[in-house]
Amino acid sequence: MSARLWYLRHGVAWLPVLACCAAAAATALLVVHWPDVAGVLAPAVLACCAGAAAFVYDEDALAVVAVTPRGAGWRRSARLGVTLLPLSVWVVVVAVRPGDVAFVRPGWWLIGGATLILVVGSAALASRRLVSTPGAVLAPVVALAAVAPVTLSGMFSWGSVYPIGDFPHAVRTVWLGVALSGAAVCAVAFRPGLRP
Amino acid sequence: MSGLSVPASGLAGHRAMAVIEARRMARHPVFLLGVILAFVVLGLFVALNKDEGVPVVLTLPLLGAFYIGLTSVIAAARLTSSTEVALEAVATAPSTEARRTLALAATGIPAFLAGLAFVVVLVILAQVQGVARQEWWFGTLPDWQVWSILLMCPVACLGGALLGVLTGRWLRFRGASAVAVVALIVVSLLGQTPLLETSTSEWRLWVPWAIFSTGDNADGSQTLIAGNPGAYLGYMVALCVLAVLGAMWHDRTARTPWFRALVAAVAASALVLFTLAATTGNHDNRDSEPNPSRVSA
Repeated sequence: MSARLWYLRHGVAWLPVLACCAAAAATALLVVHWPDVAGVLAPAVLACCAGAAAFVYDEDALAVVAVTPRGAGWRRSARLGVTLLPLSVWVVVVAVRPGDVAFVRPGWWLIGGATLILVVGSAALASRRLVSTPGAVLAPVVALAAVAPVTLSGMFSWGSVYPIGDFPHAVRTVWLGVALSGAAVCAVAFRPGLRP
Repeated sequence: MSGLSVPASGLAGHRAMAVIEARRMARHPVFLLGVILAFVVLGLFVALNKDEGVPVVLTLPLLGAFYIGLTSVIAAARLTSSTEVALEAVATAPSTEARRTLALAATGIPAFLAGLAFVVVLVILAQVQGVARQEWWFGTLPDWQVWSILLMCPVACLGGALLGVLTGRWLRFRGASAVAVVALIVVSLLGQTPLLETSTSEWRLWVPWAIFSTGDNADGSQTLIAGNPGAYLGYMVALCVLAVLGAMWHDRTARTPWFRALVAAVAASALVLFTLAATTGNHDNRDSEPNPSRVSA
């Protein structure tokens, strides 16, 4: 087993990551039974996947491992691979389209990808700042943030950022903005070395 | 206030502990973020409204309940679990876990006050800007029903904080508050949405947050959903008390016969209030007159 896999197996907080992925899958099953409320359940699936990504950089012994000869950059890049797990869950859910909900697949894949990039970048940045368990705060906050736009779409005439049936250009622009923000956060978080 | 200045026991000691917890809550960044978001979104909604008067006023408490209430779940759960890292030290203090939990219930005070402020601002806006003649509001609905629906917002905020305390006491895994938040949304949604347009819509009222006004329908009308909002408000308060008692239940030494009887009495009260909410009040959904300016394009 390579050093990276050994590290990931022992270092990642798998319980919350897998629990969030399982919650995402369970919520996707709810969409099968209640496709009429997919407008809220689909963001809830996204919230669970984002929550899983928030735990990727949880490391209780961060203060110790951050100064090992292997280097913080190696550790951060190794953990980045774990994000593929919630990303895969999201990709599969959108591809399967539970309940025959008319997700526009490229658009919804963009939604998931942009969100996960931003969340994992934020977690990595917190880890860079020597916050040992950023997921404990980040996961509930991003879960709430993922569902919050649902209330806004009901109140304003802006339209939903989780469109079903079509994927307007304005919504694509919003999510591309989120993706770019995530990329910027990642660029800062994955610079070599420790803080700042 | 330093920890050493807190009296070891008695009412004064409990009050001092409660004040400390309330202050910690009022300063928590996640809670403050939720409060700011609630008022910013309300301000945007009113500022961008092109119609005369404030529309869908009985739906707007949802904003306060969502942003303040749900962030209170997260903040209160964090505050509750924050002492876990020093459990051995805390356990030697001259105070039981149940007493500390009761003090943590004071985290609900800032949440309740923030929700109350949200409703006060909403009422002032509605009084200053007026509301449409067709709106479900004072004059078209009995006053006690309007006040009950409005006050559901601060009670939901209080309940959010208390649910956070309950979550922090019982669920020790990372991200427990995230699970609580998502579960609360999903249960509230799935527990009532399938029933809203049926003849048995009053039985949706078992959920912790039930809506009474749909907001705008496509034809410009608004639907007032069946049920007794006054009794439902009481049901929400009973759920809040149950959350506190459930959190205190975590301490085995607190489970005295008197405490068990209290839990049973509050649970029975919640059941009675739910039954009253579902069987009294409006028995059918009622549509308002269509408001021409709110007809969907």
